[in-house]
Amino acid sequence: MFLLLHRWIWRDPERCARKLFSFAETEADGGRDLVRAAELTQDPTLRRLFMVHAADEDRHAQLFRTRGSQLLRARPGRASPPLELNWVSPGERGLDDLHVHTETDAGLLAFLHLSEKAAAGHFATYVQALKGDPPTSQVFKEVLKDETFHMNYTLAQLIRVAPNGHGVILWQARLGRLWKAYLRLMSGIAGIMGAVMLTIQYFILLPPFAFLAKRAARREAPGWRQIPQDRASNMTSQF
Amino acid sequence: MKILGISAHYHDAAAALLVDGLPVAAVQEERLSRRKNDAAFPMAAIEWCLDEGNLDPDELDAVVFYERPMLKFDRILTCALRAFPHSWRSFPQAMKNTLGEKLWVRGIISSQLGVPRRKVLFCEHHHSHAAAAFLTAPVRDAAILTADGVGEWAAMTVGRASRAPGKTSINLLREIRFPHSLGMLYSTFTAYLGFTVNEGEYKVMGLASYGRPTMVDAVRKVVQRTADGAFQLDLAYFDFHTTAKRSFSAKFIDLFGPPRDPLDPIDLTSPEGQRFADCAASVQRVLEDILVETAKALHLETGLPDLCLGGGVALNGVANHRLLQESGFERIFVPPAPGDAGCALGAALYADRIHFGNPDRNFPDHPFWGPAVEAGTLTSLAQEDRLPAEELHDSLLIPRVALDLAEGRIVGWMDGALELGPRALGHRSILAAPHTVQMRDRLNRDIKHREEFRPFAPVVPLEDADRYFELPPGGKRLAKFMSGVFPVRPEWREKLAAITHVDGTARVQILEPDMAPRLYALLKTYGLLSGIPILLNTSFNLAGEPIVNRSVEGYLTFRRCGIDVLVAGQTRVTKRMQEKAA
Repeated sequence: MFLLLHRWIWRDPERCARKLFSFAETEADGGRDLVRAAELTQDPTLRRLFMVHAADEDRHAQLFRTRGSQLLRARPGRASPPLELNWVSPGERGLDDLHVHTETDAGLLAFLHLSEKAAAGHFATYVQALKGDPPTSQVFKEVLKDETFHMNYTLAQLIRVAPNGHGVILWQARLGRLWKAYLRLMSGIAGIMGAVMLTIQYFILLPPFAFLAKRAARREAPGWRQIPQDRASNMTSQF
Repeated sequence: MKILGISAHYHDAAAALLVDGLPVAAVQEERLSRRKNDAAFPMAAIEWCLDEGNLDPDELDAVVFYERPMLKFDRILTCALRAFPHSWRSFPQAMKNTLGEKLWVRGIISSQLGVPRRKVLFCEHHHSHAAAAFLTAPVRDAAILTADGVGEWAAMTVGRASRAPGKTSINLLREIRFPHSLGMLYSTFTAYLGFTVNEGEYKVMGLASYGRPTMVDAVRKVVQRTADGAFQLDLAYFDFHTTAKRSFSAKFIDLFGPPRDPLDPIDLTSPEGQRFADCAASVQRVLEDILVETAKALHLETGLPDLCLGGGVALNGVANHRLLQESGFERIFVPPAPGDAGCALGAALYADRIHFGNPDRNFPDHPFWGPAVEAGTLTSLAQEDRLPAEELHDSLLIPRVALDLAEGRIVGWMDGALELGPRALGHRSILAAPHTVQMRDRLNRDIKHREEFRPFAPVVPLEDADRYFELPPGGKRLAKFMSGVFPVRPEWREKLAAITHVDGTARVQILEPDMAPRLYALLKTYGLLSGIPILLNTSFNLAGEPIVNRSVEGYLTFRRCGIDVLVAGQTRVTKRMQEKAA
C-alpha cells in the first residue's frame, strides 16, 4: 500500500523533478549544517568526518539536481507545478530541525545517526518505487550507499565520544525527535486554527474598514508627499 | 554615550555599537549564525558588539531600533484593507507574522537585553538609511536620496543634511509611499526572471548587460511618471501588495510573456534566454532613468555638490554610475552597507547626533567593524590535516602570495576585522589573477558555482585606477566601496578578461593605502610581477553561505572548494598537490 502510494507520487516526471530539486536543497542545507558542525567541534576526528559527510551531502545535492534537470528537459510540455507531497515522501532531513550550535557533539551524532537511518529507510522505498525509472532509481541507490556509511560512522563516533552514555543519548535524541514532531504538528494545527479565525474576522470585521481605507486611498494624490519635519523627532514613539 | 543600534526581522539583521559618537563594533547576524540573510533578532551580533566594547547591557544609554514597528504594522494592515477582498489569503499570514514577534520590539529588546523600556528608541527606516549614508560620509552638507523596497510607509525619500558646528541635521523633505516602490519594481522583475527576491537582484543587473532594452515601453506601462516628477506603479500589474505568494499579476505575464521557471537554466543563445536578458536590461534602464531624473531635480533644488545615497537600491552600481554622470552631483557617497544591515549603524548615529544632540565626530572611512581574524587558529587547524602551514612576516608573506597569484593560484585572503555590508572589500576576499576568461570560469566552476553571466570585480590601487578604468570625476569615491560600475579602458579589456563584463565594464574597488594596507601592498607587489596591479576580488564564501568570519570558517571553506592558498593574518596554508589533483 505504502509502496503503491510512492509509485503514484513518483510517476509524474514533473513532480519527480521538483521533488529531486527539493531533495537537492535539503542535502545542500544538510551539508551546510555539517560544515557548521565541523566549525564548532573541538574534536579533530569529528571535524574530518563531518567534512567528509558534508562533501557527500553536496555530491548528493548535485546528483539530485542533475537528474532533476534531465527530467525537466525531457518533459514534453510546460505544466503548472504539481503538488509535491513532501510530507508523504520526505528527503534526508526534510522534516527534522537541526540547530547545530545548540547541540553537543554526542547529541549531534545521535541526531545524525537517527536521521540517516530514517532517510535510508525512505530512500530504500524510493528505489523500489522507481523501478520504472532506472536512472532516478540509480541516483537513490548511490545516495543509499553513503547513508549506510553515515549511519555507521555516527554510531561508532557516538560510542567513542560517550562510551558510557551513548544509549541514553540515543534515546534522548529519539524522544527529542518525537517532541519536535509533536511541536510541528501542534504548531501546524495552531497555524490552521489561527488562519481560520483570522479569515473569519477578515470577512466579518474588516469590510467597513476596508471601505474607508479604499476611499482614503482614492483621495490620496499620487507622487511625492511632504514629510512633516517633526515626524522623526520623537524617537520614543513606535508610530 | 553608549548607543546600540539594531536592525532585524526582515532581512540582514545586524547590530552596531557607538561609544562617544564613534563606532566600536558592527556586524551582521548572518556572519555569526552562519545562516545567509539571517533576519532573526541579532542576539549573537549584540553580544559580540557588547563584548567588543567591554560593556554590560545596563551600561548602554540607549538601544535604537532601525524602524517603527507600529507604523509598519499600520502599513501592512492598511494595505490588506485596501486590497480587500483580494488580500484574504495573505491577511492571516501577514497578521500571524507581524503579531507574533515583529510588533513587540520594545518588549523583546527590553527582555533580551535587560535594559529599561525607556532606553529603547525607534528611528524611522529611511532616516536610518539617510543617517547611515550621510553620517558615515566625509562631507559637511549633502543632498540625500534613499530608495528601497519599503520601510514603514516610505519607499523613496529625498532631503538634505548638514553638519553645522554644534548641530547636525538630516531633513527628509518628501517621500514616495508604498506600494509605489522602485525596490519592489526591481524585486518583481527579479522574481519574474526566476531569481530569489532580496538575493537575486545582483543577477538581474548582471543579466541586463546581455540584453537590449527593447521592452522599455512595456516597463514604463507598469511604472509611470507623475506630474510632480515622482512615479507610481500601475498596481494592476502587481500582486505583491495583495499576496506574499507572487509579486506579479496575470496582466504582467500578458505584457512580458511567461516567467522563467527558477529550475530552468538561462540559455542566452536561445530566444527565450534573450527575452529574459532584454527584460532585465529594460527594467534596469527604467530604474536608472527614474533615479537620474529624481537626482537631477534634487540637485537643482538643493544646489549642493554632494549626494548621499542609501537603501538597497543604492547597491545598483550601474545606476550609481549614471547618477554620477548625469545627475549634476559632483560626488556620490554610498556607504559600504546601504541596505538594512547598515541601518543598525544609521539608527545609532541618528540617535547620537540628532536625538541626543551630541557633537559631530569624523567617522572612520572604512567598513571594517566586525570580528578580527584570530592568530594561531589556522596553523593548528592545518596541522590537524597535516597541511603545510607557515607563519611569515609580511616582508616574506606578501611577495609569496603575490607569486602564488601570478602563478595562477586562487587565494583565500583573511585580514583584520570583518567588513560590514554585502561586499568583501579586502578583509574576507577570494583573490585571483584577473587576466583570463579561464580564471573566471574556474572560479565559477570550482568555487562560486554561479551563473556564467555574473561578473567578478577587480580591486586596484588608487593611483593606478585611471590607467585601467574610465572613471568620471567623483568615480574614485564611488568605487571606494565597490558602489559603481565603470568601463574598463578598451586597450586593457583583453588583459583583464576575468573581471571585464560582457559590456566592457567592471564593478571596480579602488583601494587607498590606509584602508587595507596589506592588500594594497599585495596589489603593488603583484603589479611588479605581472605588470598590472589589479586583482580579481570576490567575496570569501560559497554559494548559499555568508561571507566567512573566523579562521575556522575560512579554513573549512578552503578545504571544500578550489581555493589553492589560504592566508589568515600572518599564516599561509596550501593544499597538498594530490588534493588539488583530486
